[in-house]
Parts: sequence; structure tokens; C-alpha cells
Amino acid sequence: MADSQNSKMWKRAVALTAILIFVGFGVVIGNLVRWQLVRGEELRSKAIDQSLISTELSPMRGTIYDASGTKVLAQSASVWTVAIEPNYIKKGDDIKIAEGLSQVLGMSYDTIYQKTQQNSYFTYVKRKVETDVRDKILEMLEEKEIKRGVILLEDYKRYYPYGSTASTVLGFTGTDNQGLAGIEAQYEEELSGTTGRLVTAKNAAGTDMPFQYEQYIEASDGYDLVLTIDETVQSIVEKHLEKGLNAYEAIEGGTAIVMDVNTGAIIALSTKGDYDPNDPFTISEAAEAAIPEQVEKEIARRLEEEQKAFNTLEYKLSLAEDAEEEAELRAELEAFERLSTEDILELNETLYDEYFKKAQNKQWRNKAVSDTYYPGSVFKMITASMALEEGIVTESSTYTCEGLWDFHRPDVKPIHCWVRLPGHGLETLVDGVCNSCNPYMIWLGQNLGRYKFFDYFEAFGLTEKTGVDLPGESGSIYYTADQLNLTELATESFGQNFSITPLQMCTAMCAVANGGYLVQPHVVDRMLDSEGNIVHTTDTSYKRQVISEDVSNRVTQILLRNATSESGKNGYVAGYRVAGKTGTSEKVALYEQEKAQGIDRGMQYIVSYGGYAPADDPQYALLVFYDEPQTENVSGGSQAGPIFAAIMEEILPVLGVDPQYTEEEYENLAAKTPNVVNRTIGEAKQILKEAGFGYEVSGYEGENEDNQLVYTQIPSPGAPIPKDGFVLLYTQEPSAEDYVEVPDFKGDHLEGCKWYAMQADVQVVVSGNTSEGYAQGQDIPAGTKVKRGYVIKVSFVTVGGVEAAG
Amino acid sequence: MAQTGRVTTRGLRSIPADEAASASTRRVLRRQRIRYRFFTLGLGLDMPMLFIILVLMAFGLVMLFSASYANAYYRTGNSYTYVLRQAGFAVAGIVAMLAISTVDYHQLHRLNVLIFFGTIALLLMVLVFKGTPIAPVKGGANRWINIGVEFQPSEIAKFSLILMFAHFIALYGERMKIARYGFWPFMGILGIFAGLILLEKHVSATLIICAIAFLMMVIGGTKLRYFVGIGTVGVVGLACLLMFSDRFTYALNRVKGWIDPFNPPEGVDTWQTRQSLYAIGSGQLFGVGIGQSRQKYLYLPEPQNDFVFAIICEELGFIGALLVIILFALFIWRGVYIALNARDRFGMMLGIGITFQFGLQAVLNICVVTNTIPNTGISLPFFSYGGTALLMLLAEMGVLLSISRHSRIDKT
Repeated sequence: MADSQNSKMWKRAVALTAILIFVGFGVVIGNLVRWQLVRGEELRSKAIDQSLISTELSPMRGTIYDASGTKVLAQSASVWTVAIEPNYIKKGDDIKIAEGLSQVLGMSYDTIYQKTQQNSYFTYVKRKVETDVRDKILEMLEEKEIKRGVILLEDYKRYYPYGSTASTVLGFTGTDNQGLAGIEAQYEEELSGTTGRLVTAKNAAGTDMPFQYEQYIEASDGYDLVLTIDETVQSIVEKHLEKGLNAYEAIEGGTAIVMDVNTGAIIALSTKGDYDPNDPFTISEAAEAAIPEQVEKEIARRLEEEQKAFNTLEYKLSLAEDAEEEAELRAELEAFERLSTEDILELNETLYDEYFKKAQNKQWRNKAVSDTYYPGSVFKMITASMALEEGIVTESSTYTCEGLWDFHRPDVKPIHCWVRLPGHGLETLVDGVCNSCNPYMIWLGQNLGRYKFFDYFEAFGLTEKTGVDLPGESGSIYYTADQLNLTELATESFGQNFSITPLQMCTAMCAVANGGYLVQPHVVDRMLDSEGNIVHTTDTSYKRQVISEDVSNRVTQILLRNATSESGKNGYVAGYRVAGKTGTSEKVALYEQEKAQGIDRGMQYIVSYGGYAPADDPQYALLVFYDEPQTENVSGGSQAGPIFAAIMEEILPVLGVDPQYTEEEYENLAAKTPNVVNRTIGEAKQILKEAGFGYEVSGYEGENEDNQLVYTQIPSPGAPIPKDGFVLLYTQEPSAEDYVEVPDFKGDHLEGCKWYAMQADVQVVVSGNTSEGYAQGQDIPAGTKVKRGYVIKVSFVTVGGVEAAG
Repeated sequence: MAQTGRVTTRGLRSIPADEAASASTRRVLRRQRIRYRFFTLGLGLDMPMLFIILVLMAFGLVMLFSASYANAYYRTGNSYTYVLRQAGFAVAGIVAMLAISTVDYHQLHRLNVLIFFGTIALLLMVLVFKGTPIAPVKGGANRWINIGVEFQPSEIAKFSLILMFAHFIALYGERMKIARYGFWPFMGILGIFAGLILLEKHVSATLIICAIAFLMMVIGGTKLRYFVGIGTVGVVGLACLLMFSDRFTYALNRVKGWIDPFNPPEGVDTWQTRQSLYAIGSGQLFGVGIGQSRQKYLYLPEPQNDFVFAIICEELGFIGALLVIILFALFIWRGVYIALNARDRFGMMLGIGITFQFGLQAVLNICVVTNTIPNTGISLPFFSYGGTALLMLLAEMGVLLSISRHSRIDKT
């Protein structure tokens, strides 16, 4: 071998080796630096991300209790979400899964089978199934030996044991357990708790890695809420409110607020025309039935408009001046598109949905905080308080109402009192309030002046939201001091021309009642963690003192008189010294608007009654409010008053306010029937005699009263009975002869009622203003057959003599 | 000498004719052959090379165990499946390597033609028996043959080519400068091998075999300018093939996927490359610790095979990766050193060929793993799983050690 050649080969070999090592590995090392040292962190986190699977652990939503702390208003219970993992289903298992699940869940086989064929790792089958269904699924999986592919995730469902009770306060939750309205929405954060997380490292096949890599963040359950709402009181309020709603056919619903005047705690708050939070998306049958008609009307209106437009066009064409214009109009006429049948069908559907949504929103709306209204004459208690506080009048200061307030200016229209000429005449402040006299209030307002008036208006919290812990609170609409010109000041003085929410009115009324303190209204009393520890208590807080205690007492006396004998007497409750004021307001703006649209339903009203009891130590305030009642003789006194009285009468004993009867009241008072069943007749007679009741034995003629036991009694043990009533003692099952017909008491005064009752051999207990009023309602309708001696409740109201709209 | 016929066939046929023609050469060869003994135990082998081989082998087994641990568990239920089998082959391979190292490598002169035709027969078998149990199709490619043991004939083809080239380079000596000797016969042999392997759709093996051929020819003395023509024709031909075939967009997308594996174009699957880079990146400077790889848990497909280096990077970090690279650099250096000090030109070319074969494979494998070049199936010598491939590797190491026994290197 030639050395020269060898050395050349050497050189070439060394050179190529060097190139291979230095270039090849050099590039590689360069890349390693880039991937490992420069972008290492980024790639590492990406690698970790793809291998970490985080599972959400859903916390239990807090329970909502009523004021007693024991009655559950809203509660979550475990339900299960059924899902499948199509990519992990073994061959052949798909059919088994589809069969099994379709049977257990009652779904179609095809739907589930299609889901098993998807190319995905997770797909829902059914959400919120009960635990027994889950057990069935587990059983099915075991039976069919399916190890992988079906998963069950724990979820929660919200239950509202009391149905529609307090629904607008409570609100409801959506599919993902998120609060959508009411307290559920307001306290979403507190109720929902914190979602936990389980982070585990998984391999690419989705199973656990052999080494430990777990991070467990425990879910913490939501807080429980104890409300100030008392379920018993709430139910009573709703019962009466509903009754009134049906009786008066109030189109826009009704609202009642019961508030503790001293703490601002809302004891009951109801908006009727509400919903069942267990099924919040369903609207009432009546509302649903009304939709087709609404849709039809709307379509008819649109068709009419269309025709009008067409006619206009034709008319224009007939007036066309030159050929060019005519051609243009003709083209337009030809291009005119009418709604086709399909269009109308489609419109039908969209309108139906639209009205359905409207109805839903209406039933969800909490009128007490979300709607504003002219408080009307209820506001007069505020004006009177201002005047007394400022000392510009006393109870005996007089003003002569001539039926109208004349500004004595040609450019400003005079304002009428609800009693036209000659008016109320000479009145004191007490008369002014009790007559609900508008000019008297205007006189007070003018004397106060716009700045003082507005200062108080503001101080009573009517310019700001109350800040109640409920969502959707509406702000008020009012004139500022500088905008309060003659008419504005005058009308505001008697409660018109500004809009506030019922809750604002109620809060202001509490200030009048409690010695002048503007309290903070609230619904949640305290918050508890899952172990029952109190994490938050709502303390009573008042924003400011608006009027002095003295003025508060004096206004209460005026209102007490008003509620007992004057315009507010339908709010009278025997045994409780109630202070109250009626209110009626015209929906003027709506009226004008409808008139412009050519709709004529006449003037619509809001009737209300606001008051509190007992007058000597005010405890609870109640505001009852009906929107657009459709009865005749609309006024706060006639419609809202009796409901107010009925509610007050029933809730005050529940709330622990003991009645104090006057002698006259005591006579009409119902007592409790003693229990004499299974006693001998002799014993029974003795007991009844001692209790001051009469008695009558039916069905036994024998002499030996000690041998015969009482089989049954009317009225039943514990039932109300008039103080001077009698008890029928039956020794055997009452026969047909023992049944009598209930007479019609409506329209009779107290004595008349008693006479009719005696004739029919029944008894009556009365409520309401019995001294001047007339029977308005009875709990058993006339003509019903009842056993002899049966006690019928009759309620009294006064008609007329109460103010109309100011 | 026949002047007609195709280049390839003429090149092949002319060799024995040439040899026969020269009586003196024959005599020399016979004399040389007589000098060679069958066993060469008496001469020491190169201890540094043996040391490097054993270190690489041990390191390879450890990393293979770590990399294959999860995959073996999920596939077979036993984490040791792969490593035990590989260790068995390694032990057998090392025994074989030491045995072969005692055989005088000049025996390969005689076996040369036999191996050549045997290899061609095997390569043809793969194509003929495609799809049958003898030549199973695995993962869309048929490059395996199963006659009792399963192996890739292309691995043998590499060695056969090296042997053939070493033989002719040694034979032609100075005549390598002439195209008739130094270029066309070689191209003929390469053409047969490369063509057959390409028909197996084994692109990576084709590339490696071409690269080895090129390197050996250049070192052997073939003029570089001969390659210019064929290189140009090859590049232009490849370009035309791509441009005018429907695979063009696919190839372009592959390139795009290579340039940015994290946002590949539609239809290009860069999962393996991405996972490899995640693994490499996760390692950072010092690695996550041996056995701690996250990526081997089914994220990186087949971590015990071509992508074992990614797991090394993840577990041992940049430092560990550098260590492996240095080991391979040492391996190449020592291999070339042995070859350059070989007793004769045949030994030198054989040594260089063997060293370059595995050196190239190591460089290209690491290039693939680090996404330096597009993904193609090249295994990492000593590290990747594969029994017969390991046996082949160690057998070739035996040849290299045999060369070292005859070399002029001082042995201690």
C-alpha cells in the first residue's frame, strides 16, 4: 500500500469523523439547549398539564331556614348525573349499555346507542336522576358485567318543601344549581360554597399513574341561611293576599310586606301571582291559557297595520300628479309584501314564546322591591309627620278644605280634593289625615316649603334604595328640591307624582311607627356554616332618626283613630290597637299611554293599606297592595283594608302580640269551645255552664244524664264559639234532621246577622269593624248544609266614606 | 472485459475477472491468506473500546428498563418484560462479540460473496413473502423477516455493504480514483441494496446505507466530483417526483409539521414529536430523576424504542443527555482510531464502516428525537429495544474488536 494514499485516506477519515462528531452532535446539543434549558419550563408545564386530570367536587348548597330556624324553606339533595365515556367502552358493551340505560332511564335505545358510538371521552346521558335510579344503574352494570364506560357523577337538586310559599323571596336555582332569583341569587356566593378539586396524574389512557400524585382540595359546603321570614306568618299573609287577589281580580298582582318596625326584619313578603320554585319555568294554567288570545290579538293588529299601509299607498297612487311618480308608487305597490301564511305561522310561534317568557318574568318578579308606584294617601302619614316635627302645625291647627286647592295663579291649574265642592270644610290635622284630605296636605306641604319637604323626603329614605338583601331592587323616581315647583310640591304632599317601591313605603312607615328611626330592611337574619356555627348575624341597624319619638307617638294616635273609626276603619282589628292609612293611586302615566295607543280600559288603580300595631307600642307594620283591581268602587279602604285586617288579626297572635279588647269588642269575641266529648251529659252541662256557654242535647230523651256519654259536639272542641254561644251535644251520629242551611249574611249589620243566625239555628263569630260596618264575607257560603249549632265566621267592612284617588 | 451491459452488472462481474486476470495479485492474496489464522486470541483487544461498549451497553439497559417500565406494564402486565428480554440478548450478544473478536476478520474476505448473496436473498424474501408469517407486515411496513428468529434484513444489508465496500476498496487501492473502479461498481452494489430496501419502504435504512456508502467511498478515494452528477440527478429526480405526485402537499405538510410540531397542519400527526419534546423539556438541566419520567406513561409512544433518548433527557436532564452524547462521541473516536490503526486497508475500511454505521445511527436518532430532522424510524444503538438488532450490533462490535486485535495500537 502506498503511504501517500494511506495518509490521504487517514486525512479524509479523520476529517469526516470530525464533521460527524462536531457538526452532528453540535447541532443536537444546540437543540437540547434550546428545548431543555431555554424552553424547558414551558414544555414541562405543558407536559404536566396534559397528564393532570382535575375532577370538580361540588359542594352542597346551603339550606334556607325560616325565622324559627327549624322549618326548611329550601334544601339541596343529592341527585346523579349519568354520563358515558364512549372511547372507553369495550366492544360489545355498547349494546349492553344502551339496552340497560334505556330501560332504567326510560330513554330511547337509539339515542343512547348513538351516544356510545361518539368519538369522545365524555358525554351526558341524563342529568339529575334520583338516588334509587342510580342504584338501579349500578345493579344493571354489575349484572351485565360492564366495567368501564358508564359514570355517575354526584350532583344536587334544590327542593322547596313549602312550594310557592315565599317563592319571590326565595327565588330558584338553575340546572347548574346557580341561584337565578331572590335570595338564591342574592346570596349565591354564600350558599354555593367553594368547589373542591381533586387533581390526579393520569397516563395517556386516562387511568391513574402508579405513583402518588394527588392534590385534594376539599369542597366546602355553602352556608345555611336563617331568614327573618316566618313561615307561619308568610302562609297566613299569602292565604289572605291570594283570597283578595281572586276577589278583586287584580291584573298586575298584589303584594304584602310584614316588617318588624324596630329591627327592619321582614317577617313576611309575598307577591301573589307567583310560582312554585320547584318548577319555576312553568307558568300558571290561566296565564298559559291566555297566551293564544294575546297572540291572536297581536297578529290581528299587525295585519291591520299592514292593510293600513297598503291603503295609504293606494291612496297616494290615486293622488299621483305625474307619470313618474305614479310609476314609482305602482312599483312600490307591486313590491308590497303581505304576511304570508307561513309568516303568520312563524309569527305565531315567536309571539307565543315571547308571551310565555313575559309571563315567566311576571311570575318571578318581586313587586315589593322591583316595582314602583305612587304611594297615594298612605304617604299622608309622612307629610303629617314632617309638619308636626317642624312644628308648623299641631293636631288642632285648622284649615278649611273647599274641595280644591287654588294656587291663585292663572298658569297653574287648581288641584281638587277627592271630595268635590264644598269639600271637607274646617278641619284639624287629625281630621285632615282621617278624611284623607288632599288640600290639607297641600297646605302642609306649602308651609313646609320645597327644601324642608325634600329634606324629610330624603331622610325617610325615599330617594335611595333601601339596600334590602334581595336582588332587583328598583330605585325611586322623584323631583329634587329644585325641581319641586308649585304643582309638584302640592301633588307630592299627598303621595302622588313620585314613584317608590312598596318596600320603601313600608320602611318609611316603620320610621313613623318606631319613634322615627329609619331601619335597614333585611331578609336574612343569620348565616351558619355546615357545622351550625354562626358566621354572620344581621344586626339591627338604623340609618338615621327622621322624626322625634314624640311626633311618632302623636302621628300614631292620629292613625289609630283613623283605623278605628275614620277612613281607614276597614283595617280595624278587634283587640289590637291598629294605626293605619289607606291609599289609592291612579296609574295616570299608564292611562295616558294606553289612550295614545287607542286602548281603553279606563283608569287603573293601585289600592293599598299601610299600618302597624299595636298603637301603644308599635311592633309590626303591614303594607298590603293590589295592582289594577277590577272591582267597582276601587279604593284602598274597601279592597286593601279588609285584607289588611284579616292578615293582622291572624298574624299578631302568632307573633306573640296579645290582644287587649275593649268591652264592646270582648262581647263579640269568639271563645274556644271546651271539649266535652265522651263525658256524661251531666258533666258536659256542668262544664259548659261554668264556661258561660249554653247547651242543647240532641238525640237523647232519657232522664239519667249520668249514663249517657256525649258522642260528638258542635262546635267541635277548640273551635271558635261566640262568648254567649251554645254547644249542641249529640249522643249519636247527627241525623239528616240535624243539618240546616247557612243563611246569606252579606250586607247585614251585626244585629241582623245575629238574628238570621238564630233563625237558622247556627251561630256567628264576627271580625272587622262591627260597629259601623256591614257583613262582607262569610267563611261558609250561603246555602251550604251544616250541622245545627255550627259557627260561621262573618267579616265586616265599611263601604263608602273612604277617600278616592287624590 | 466486457464493455457492454449495464453499469451495475458489469461492475459486479468484472471483479472476479479482474482478479483472475492478475496472477500476481492472486499470489499475493494467497500469501496473505495463509498468514491469517482463524483464531487470534493471542493478540490483545482494544480495552478502551471494550470499556466504552460495555458502559454503553450497561447504561442502555438501565435506561431501557426505566423507559419501558410503564409501557411493559400496560402492554404485558409485567414491567420487566422488555428489559429481561433485552438483557438476555445483551448477555448473549456480549459473549458472541467476544467470541467473534477472536476470529480473524480476514475470514470475512471469504464469506463476503456468500453474505452478499444471502442478504439479497433475504431482502427479496421480505418482498416475495410480504404479508405471510415469514415476512409479517408491522405498522404498515414490511421490513421484517421471521425464520425462527425475527430480524430486519436491512440491518444485515448494512453490514454486507460495508464488507463489500471494504473488500473492493482494499482491492482497488490507487485505482479508486478511476470511475470504472472507484465509482460504478460501488454504485452498483449500493443500487441493489438501496433499491431493495427502498422497496420495503424503509426510508431511514436507505438513507443510512447511502450515507455509509458515500462516506466509505470518499475515504476509500473515490473522486468527489463523481458524486456531483449522481447527486444532482438524485436531488432533481426526488424533487420532480415530489412536485408532480399527489404526495407533494403531504410532504410539504410533513415539513411544516416538522418546523412547528406544536401547531401541525391538518392530517399530520406530530404527537410523537410533541411528546418527545415535552419529555426533553421536562428534564431541564438535571432531569426529573431516574425512573421519574412522566412522559413514559403512554404519552410518548414506544419509549423503549426510537425515543428512548427523550426519556434519558427527561430523567437525567441536559447533563445526562450530554453524557450519552459524549459516550457516543468517544465510541466513534475510538472506532475510527482502531480502524485507522488497522493492519491493512480492508481492516481500516471495515472498521470505519462499522463505526460510522452506528455513529451515524446515534447522531440521526438523537436528531430525530430533538426534532432536528423530521421523524423517521432510526433506533439508538445500545439503548433501543430490539433483540436481534442488538445481537447484530454486538456481533459487528466483535468484528471491530477483532480488527483491534491486529492493530498497531499499544495494548495494555
